[in-house]
Amino acid sequence: MAVSTYLAPDAAKSAGLLCAIVAVPALAIGIAFTGPLVTTTTNFLVMLTAVLALGMFSGNSGILSFGHCAFMALGAQISATLTISPALKKSAFPLLPEMILQSQFGLPAALLVTMLLVGVIAYVIGKVICRLEGSSASIATLGLLIIVESLIVAAQGYTRGNQAVYGVPKLTSLPVALVLALLAIVVARLFRDSRPGLLLRASRDNAPAAASIGIDVATQRLHAWVLSAMVAAMSGAMMAHFLTVFSPKQFYFDLTFAIIAMLVVGGMMSVSGAVLGALVVTLMVEVLRRLENGFALGPVSVPQIFGLTQIGLSVAILLTLYKRREGLLAFAELNPLKRAKPAPSDRMPERAPPARLEIADLRKAYGGVVAVDRVSFALRAGEILGLIGPNGSGKTTLLGCIAGTHTPNGGSVLLDGKPIEGQSPDRIARLGVGRTFQTVRLFANLTCLENVVAALTERHPHWSRQQLEAEAQRLLDELNIGDLWSQSAGTLAYGQQRRLEIARALAIDPKFMLLDEPAAGMNDAESEDLLQILGWLVDQRGLGLLIVDHDLKLIMRLCPRIIVLNKGQLIAEGSPTEIQGDASVQQAYLGRRHGVEQAPPQTITMRA
Amino acid sequence: MDLFLQQVVNALSLGGTYALLALGLAVVFSVLGLINFAHGELMTLTGYAIFFALAAGLPYPVALVLGVLVATASAVVMERVAFRPLRNSNATVMLLSSFAVAAMLHVLFQNLISARPKAIPAPQFLMRNVEVLGLQIGAVQLVSIAVTAISLLGLTLFLRRSTLGIATRAAASDFNITRLMGINANLVISTAFAISGLLAGIAALLWLFQRGSVDPLMGFLPVLKAFIAAVLGGLGSLSGAVVGGLLLGFIEVGLRAYLPDGMQAYREAIGLTIVIAVLFFYPSGLVPRREAVR
Repeated sequence: MAVSTYLAPDAAKSAGLLCAIVAVPALAIGIAFTGPLVTTTTNFLVMLTAVLALGMFSGNSGILSFGHCAFMALGAQISATLTISPALKKSAFPLLPEMILQSQFGLPAALLVTMLLVGVIAYVIGKVICRLEGSSASIATLGLLIIVESLIVAAQGYTRGNQAVYGVPKLTSLPVALVLALLAIVVARLFRDSRPGLLLRASRDNAPAAASIGIDVATQRLHAWVLSAMVAAMSGAMMAHFLTVFSPKQFYFDLTFAIIAMLVVGGMMSVSGAVLGALVVTLMVEVLRRLENGFALGPVSVPQIFGLTQIGLSVAILLTLYKRREGLLAFAELNPLKRAKPAPSDRMPERAPPARLEIADLRKAYGGVVAVDRVSFALRAGEILGLIGPNGSGKTTLLGCIAGTHTPNGGSVLLDGKPIEGQSPDRIARLGVGRTFQTVRLFANLTCLENVVAALTERHPHWSRQQLEAEAQRLLDELNIGDLWSQSAGTLAYGQQRRLEIARALAIDPKFMLLDEPAAGMNDAESEDLLQILGWLVDQRGLGLLIVDHDLKLIMRLCPRIIVLNKGQLIAEGSPTEIQGDASVQQAYLGRRHGVEQAPPQTITMRA
Repeated sequence: MDLFLQQVVNALSLGGTYALLALGLAVVFSVLGLINFAHGELMTLTGYAIFFALAAGLPYPVALVLGVLVATASAVVMERVAFRPLRNSNATVMLLSSFAVAAMLHVLFQNLISARPKAIPAPQFLMRNVEVLGLQIGAVQLVSIAVTAISLLGLTLFLRRSTLGIATRAAASDFNITRLMGINANLVISTAFAISGLLAGIAALLWLFQRGSVDPLMGFLPVLKAFIAAVLGGLGSLSGAVVGGLLLGFIEVGLRAYLPDGMQAYREAIGLTIVIAVLFFYPSGLVPRREAVR
């Protein structure tokens, strides 16, 4: 894979700027001072590394992890074991194999081994945790924290149990901490705008939409999980070599709480936020720690307050959530340059190859309620098929069964003769079936351009970033939203959001597209415009469209062929005129008793 | 065989307590999407309420009732003060806020009351063993199982029969639609919190009977377990919470009883690893909650 794919054009510059902001004051302090200020700065750099590690996973995936402290604990434990002198090791860890007892590593080798080992461990655990839904995953990481802590305590002899590990060489000096923290900044910042980082942020904003453009969310999470665990292990090792004496308790809930507070205060979603948060919270903690043993406030003397730091951290988190939910910096990254709009590519999309989507005997039941009842129909590339039916007739469920968000209970969906039913939505998307949703699902915190780039990236893994952006811009232009390229998708007007959703679905070069109420909420001019675009997609690109809509006028105009669903069953199929004249359709829409007599056929061409 | 049955009783009693806690978490989660980290502090509050009520000379049963009422009321107040401003924000934001609330309450308990445990002796009749079908069974275990069963039954009746209960259940399966049906959102949410507080209070009693003391971190560990039980059963699924709680009880008691002595130190880690292994095969839990993608 081309390396250029992995580097967004301005991420490197932004990383450089952040590094300079951290490095210059830290170096100045290192040169000009000795004593407590140097210690505090070193401590800050270690914590910063930990926060960056957590942000790499939690910020990009949107899943809060309590488990990164477990990786720090492992990092500290492993690196300490590797670097303690053999004489001391023998008494501290009597059960360790002779080979480890005899050896003593330097810092670089110890860090490397530590990170590799923790990477492997994280991979195994991540296989499970990354498959879980967001909140469940958070709790599972909590389980991980408890597992690791209790393992370290239980494995006395290999570890020191719940006693302190001592005699760890002091290898984390300010310059060492600075170099490692800068490394973490660069890795975190580049990862955020890299291909896996972008895909992960897309899935954070909207997981079903991410699946609909072919993103395998679990795999993307796993990449970030392993990478961030390795950086967390590095920060844990740094901490061990900074403290020289530590116990497993120090890598438990209090530390987790402090790191999460730093991430939240600064802004979880950006690397710049992590840096700012680490700085602000470190300063706050330093002040509070000095006040904890009681202080005089003018004439009033305040007694010792247990856990003042904890209170401070809680208040900082709550204030941030109440007043500025996304943190001080929210989504903003420090960026030295304002970007220019990318030039659109002049690529002519190939016509979709002749293809056939066949639905046979499809059935989906919820308990006793049959939502889709033995439905069969076929759709060719280059054809527009309208799907109508009263509310609750099973249209969206049918669409879901084809797109893979629902698993049918029976029947088959054949794409060019191959069964695809029951496969995951992202796989079906990669096979060439795109979709839009009834309620618009965009990656709200990504720009319009990024929304489309995310989809293109999945389809064209070998394209460079420039190629991807040029093609994305072309698609945006095609749907008349090219000028909005740099806006966050969440800020668009409703009609524009619908268009962006279509542009994004087109980016995976689908053979078929399933559109769930594409004109919902549009005014007449907007839906007229949409009509043009849809017709043009079929003519120019030879796509097969399946359109669900309540706007019968639109369906009748756009679709040469229409199928009608009622109570899960297919009750009619034919041209608009045939459907309008069909007695069972009129009954379904207007009711059995009076419908046919009272409503002349032409009335159902009005909006239902 | 006798030993085995003894262990089954132990597992039911421990699992029942987890089930009550997990159910309380699930009721709130299913309505609001909030994982309430401060749920454990409701248990701790119950403990302190009982301690102070006894210290003030109130009779034991009155103190117990008071303790449960305090948890119920505190849950409603907690929602009002801490979580209402954040309603409709994403799951992570709400999780964080409850995490912060929990940490703050810990520190308050430590400073305002004491970091050391306060004794709450269980009544004499709970200390004895009872003979049931030729088995010697601790009265505490029997009471736990009975209280759990009655609570679950009562809650089921409330959720199925009363209007407010039906509204709560409806909100648990689709909160937005429920609001469209004209049901007062604040009332439903307060009810959900009241239920969760009530269940936490009852669970706290069962916990106290076994432990005999309250300290600032009393609720922390059982509620951690309840989180895991809720995920094991399927987060947000009410029946899943009960299944997950009971299963976790059986796993823990089973390991305590049958793991060789040398391995006992690893009990916690093995138990949780089993849970995570189950999640590998059932990522949405054992009794998953249904959710549609539209």
